[in-house]
Amino acid sequence: MTIYNLYIFDRHGTMLYYAEWNRVKQSGITRDEESKLMYGSLYSIKSFVSKISPLDTREGFLYYKTDKYALHYFETASGLKFVINTDCSSTGVKDLLQQLYAKVFVEYTVKNPIWTPGTPINSALFKSKLDEFIKQSPIYGLKNV
Amino acid sequence: MADEGLLEYLHFELVNYCVNDKKENETNQTQSSKISTLEYIGFSTGYRLIERLTREMPRFKDELDTVKFICTDFWSSVFKKQVDNLRTNHQGIYVLQDNTFRFLKQISNSSQYLDIAPAHVVFTCGLIRGTLANLGINAIVTAEIVSMPSCKFHIQVKH
Repeated sequence: MTIYNLYIFDRHGTMLYYAEWNRVKQSGITRDEESKLMYGSLYSIKSFVSKISPLDTREGFLYYKTDKYALHYFETASGLKFVINTDCSSTGVKDLLQQLYAKVFVEYTVKNPIWTPGTPINSALFKSKLDEFIKQSPIYGLKNV
Repeated sequence: MADEGLLEYLHFELVNYCVNDKKENETNQTQSSKISTLEYIGFSTGYRLIERLTREMPRFKDELDTVKFICTDFWSSVFKKQVDNLRTNHQGIYVLQDNTFRFLKQISNSSQYLDIAPAHVVFTCGLIRGTLANLGINAIVTAEIVSMPSCKFHIQVKH
């Protein structure tokens, strides 16, 4: 189970933070274009999922899986979107994202007086706490050979 | 009990308002006078707060005892922990050291953002000064930040 990379978007589509750990192949477009593509696609997928759903949905879109990776999505009530790419055998990723929001994002970004909402995150403390949090989670540890 | 985060949010809004706010019809307020506004707010708060905290306590034996009280009970009630280190030269100078100062904890733990850190300890300097003033000790309180989140407060008692 590994974690490849992480994106954090705010309600308006601005990418607040991006981090990668094991990404082997780049997408071939700039970081900016990639973030816009990611946000736009997620928005479309979310709306598609809720339209096509044969039942009343509570949560809506949770993740998609390909043969090589899975993309997990978590949205907070305030419109913050956490997107993480893991390998196919990861479990409990939703909880991971939830904990990440509560324990790392809120503690070290929301409570940081320097950060203005809507701008990218530059704090070194946030980066190191995020790194620590991801590395000590069981999902990151074992490589799926 | 109120949520712990409330004081942090309020404190940094206070700092932003006093220090960074650029009003249209701003008078010639220099940086230092904005800081003294913030310090004065801390002073008034400390002055009143200590009245409430020491309601049922007897008078302090001496100055050192008062400062020790600030390091333990007072610091615990405001910052949820005690001061980590207290030093004195027994002639009116005291140094209080807090290794994980509550208002600096979330900003950084290295030297990033060191330049704006002083604005965030000014309120606490005023708080300590107000507390001491109402306990009968006139002092000057300054702060020194070498590496976040630890911070030292220097108290100089005026005799």
